[in-house]
Amino acid sequence: MAAFSPIKMLPLLLPAAFLIIPVVLWLPYHLELLDNAYLYTFKTGFIGILLEALPFVLAGALLSSLIGVFVPDEAITRWIPRRVFPALLFACLLGVIFPICECGMIPLVRRLMRKGMPLHVGVAFILSGPILNPIVFTATLTAFRSHPSLAYARMGLAFAVAFIIGLILYITVKSSPLRLSIPRGGEAEHHDGMRGGKLAAVFTHAADDFFEMGKYLIFGCLLTSLIQTFVVQSSLASIGARPLGSYLFMMGFAFILSLCSTSDAFVGAAFLHSFPSGSLLAFMVLGPMLDFKNAMMLLSLFKTRFAFYLFFLIASIVFTGAILLSGWL
Amino acid sequence: MNNYGSIQRHYVFRAAVLLTFAVYIEHLSRQDALHYYVTPGLAFWVKLCPIPLSFMALGLAAQALFGRGSAICDCGHQLPRSRARSAAIYGTFLFPLLLGFALPDRALGSAAAANKGVSLTFSTDRPKEAAKFQTDDPFAAEFSALARKLYTQPVIPVYPQIFSETLGALDMYKHDFKDKEIVVSGFLYREDSASSGGRFVVSRFLVQCCTADATPLGILVNAERQKSLPADTWIKIRGKLQVVVYKGKETLQIDAESVTPLNQPSTPYVYTSSDSVEEWNELQTAAK
Repeated sequence: MAAFSPIKMLPLLLPAAFLIIPVVLWLPYHLELLDNAYLYTFKTGFIGILLEALPFVLAGALLSSLIGVFVPDEAITRWIPRRVFPALLFACLLGVIFPICECGMIPLVRRLMRKGMPLHVGVAFILSGPILNPIVFTATLTAFRSHPSLAYARMGLAFAVAFIIGLILYITVKSSPLRLSIPRGGEAEHHDGMRGGKLAAVFTHAADDFFEMGKYLIFGCLLTSLIQTFVVQSSLASIGARPLGSYLFMMGFAFILSLCSTSDAFVGAAFLHSFPSGSLLAFMVLGPMLDFKNAMMLLSLFKTRFAFYLFFLIASIVFTGAILLSGWL
Repeated sequence: MNNYGSIQRHYVFRAAVLLTFAVYIEHLSRQDALHYYVTPGLAFWVKLCPIPLSFMALGLAAQALFGRGSAICDCGHQLPRSRARSAAIYGTFLFPLLLGFALPDRALGSAAAANKGVSLTFSTDRPKEAAKFQTDDPFAAEFSALARKLYTQPVIPVYPQIFSETLGALDMYKHDFKDKEIVVSGFLYREDSASSGGRFVVSRFLVQCCTADATPLGILVNAERQKSLPADTWIKIRGKLQVVVYKGKETLQIDAESVTPLNQPSTPYVYTSSDSVEEWNELQTAAK
């Protein structure tokens, strides 16, 4: 084994050096950064989001490596219906059995897709899972006690968006957009060579997953908490004064806040007086599907071009759907 | 392709990072500091995290130290190719740990409240019925039941366990609660606007899941004699409820008879209660 020399550890200290540049360029203009109150607000927000996501990411990583090690490749393909419509229906309703937050969803789906889950099914599951489940439904109903129709509309729109996007991907995307494509079937022999048998393999793979997802997650948490610390929310709200502006504002808001799908309804409910209910619907459907945190994670899963195609599809379909439904709300 | 030795080094380092995360969480839960970041319900799951984290660290360390060369390969997992990339990636993981260990844990306060905007009014549709504390809306039934209980009190206590529900019930029937006496505690928050006119807000953060969704709730306080206390001081207010127009909205205000500084409570945030009326009954029996 190669020895650790201090000089080899040096690159690990480099990130600290990266920080010097923004500090030197920014600080003269943002003296409030030195204000302790901002620093502590940032820390509390940042660690809070990270700790909140951690159990879900770990659960996702463990579940995904359990599937990776113990479930044979053919089993996954056998469970998923072959025809498109039943397959998409299956994917959209999978969240009812697997009520996992979006942070845990991505490592899990990545594994399932490597095991042969088709792209359209995987994406439909990623999009619908965090919303279409009993926990989120109950939370939304509680937050909008006076407007229960919003909770139903949220479930309906999430289902429709996931289904339509799955269908579009089925038609338009033919080659694998996964960032890493490894030949299937190569994993089985590989695990047998691992020290400590299958259980050790589960934890080792979970750790690898954790590091791969974690860097995107931490970066997402970092940006989110910076925004929460320095942006005054009411100043943003004035942008959304016009009818269509309110939709775009609430969608942008959902994107930058990166809330958990079980708690975003409560935040959205605070805007009930000042924003049309259609825009709140867009807020609650877009947020779990696409926000800073999980956009980063989706970028780790898919090639950049495909990821942006997916972001565009999500944003445009949620926007259209929310406007169409606003007549009914 | 990474060579064997470099993969070993990565695995050893990753094991150390995972272990440090486990130690940090354990440290937070030993210090009873997790409640600064997540709700008690979620804290239960966060407390369990050190277990898988340690096993994962153990797995990685075992592979690095005793694994056969053929067993370690990058099976679809990317290991960073260059030193600069490794530095950036591991720096990302070390940053929260550094921040966590270096800075003391502190609850959100006025700085965050100013960004988020303190909610002083809650109910959208005010019940118009003539009868006191009656509502046809099944979703408002809990609030009106709580309001009936609150109304019978000579001095209305605002328990932290049902803080948001109590404020919601008071706000819903604000005209009925006019001139009632109330005791409430929270941190002192000053709005910058000119309309506050020397008044301040006694506020607490309602947390649903984690600090990202923390929403400050509060009641306006008019205290003629007490204007010198700095923001973020924890205070206990005793006074009479009034309805005033603030920023164009009918808002509850306490005309304070006394303002007493407090130590920060061990749990600075408040959480929602699944059944506030039940909780109220329990708190009342416990108080007796």
